[in-house]
Amino acid sequence: MRVLVVHAHPSTESFSAALAGAAVAGLRRGGHEVRLLDLYREGFRPAMSAEERRAYDTTEAIVSADVADHAAQVRWAEALVFVYPTWWSGLPAILKGWLDRVLVPGVAFELRDERVRPLLRNIRHVVGITTYGSARRFVALTGDGGRRTLHRALRMLTARRCRRHWFALHELDSVGAEARAAFVRRVETELAGL
Amino acid sequence: MTVLVVYAHPVEGSFVSAVRDRVIAGLSAGGATVDVIDLYADGFDPVVPEDDWRSHAAVRTDDHPLAGYAQRLRAADALVFVHPTWWGGAPAILKGFVDRLFVNGVALTLDVERNRIRGRLGHVRDLAVFATHGSPWRINALFEGEPGKLLVSRQFRLLCSWRTRFSWVPMYGLDRADAGQRAEYLASVEARAVRLGRRSAARRR
Repeated sequence: MRVLVVHAHPSTESFSAALAGAAVAGLRRGGHEVRLLDLYREGFRPAMSAEERRAYDTTEAIVSADVADHAAQVRWAEALVFVYPTWWSGLPAILKGWLDRVLVPGVAFELRDERVRPLLRNIRHVVGITTYGSARRFVALTGDGGRRTLHRALRMLTARRCRRHWFALHELDSVGAEARAAFVRRVETELAGL
Repeated sequence: MTVLVVYAHPVEGSFVSAVRDRVIAGLSAGGATVDVIDLYADGFDPVVPEDDWRSHAAVRTDDHPLAGYAQRLRAADALVFVHPTWWGGAPAILKGFVDRLFVNGVALTLDVERNRIRGRLGHVRDLAVFATHGSPWRINALFEGEPGKLLVSRQFRLLCSWRTRFSWVPMYGLDRADAGQRAEYLASVEARAVRLGRRSAARRR
């Protein structure tokens, strides 16, 4: 399977970077073809510009070279894997902006007769790998915005039988090194079996 | 105290910019002192820098690049967000405003030992969101679950006082709305803003 891994964390020494590495290693071990988009390393600019917003409602919604490149990778992929730390119950701005700017009309969906027609029918798996500072019950109480965004909003536009996977480590700052290491191993194993 | 309006839309002249104007007009008519942060006009960079991430447990000082925003936040007794809804929530530029500014020493106090946070926005007595949605209510509420709304109604409210009120003023189905529906929404926006403005003015007295 062709898998696009999208990673969003400012530091290469972070636990999130270790998770992205484990995801890629696991996928390769499972025989998948993997591409990694590391948004911070690429210097991705997340704010949709005025020019892009004006183009959004036209038939040529993509006006930037970086977005065209990322959109081509989305079309290439059969699975999308997102690796990020949960901030304010959602995606870091750089990843939110990746959805805003890359998954535009003509890539993620098209409007025909004022109706949304999904275009991500090539995507058969949506995988979220994330860490939370909070405990599981607090995440549930506050609504788990990141999961809603990826597993509900994005899922509406993917293949009909698209499967959703969610791998989360809660209370990142207090669980200890052993639990962290176990989670990295789990991510690698699960993704090898995707 | 002021009403702080945080506005996020790239295009001046857009429907959302009209919403912003009616919010400001309503707040002023209600007697509030209004402060507006226009993130696009400010050229705000929403990306959390690596240094900020490393020092996320440290209390921010006044030499921080966002200290000006922090002061304006502390001076507010109401916080109002005006934005379009993209992928269920606020545009990235506004999510990054939260990621970068709502940190230890500004919006909350972090207790590292107990892994707890304590809100510092007790002075904010009104939280309000004026959000447009291209798609209809059933898509946003039933399918997507409105993560953008929950960010304010659940998360931010925990940083404020138990008396803090949350106002949600959405427009759904903007893509298919006619001029009459748009005008109707703008009128309701202004009416809600007047009420918010009156409450802020009453608190000042």
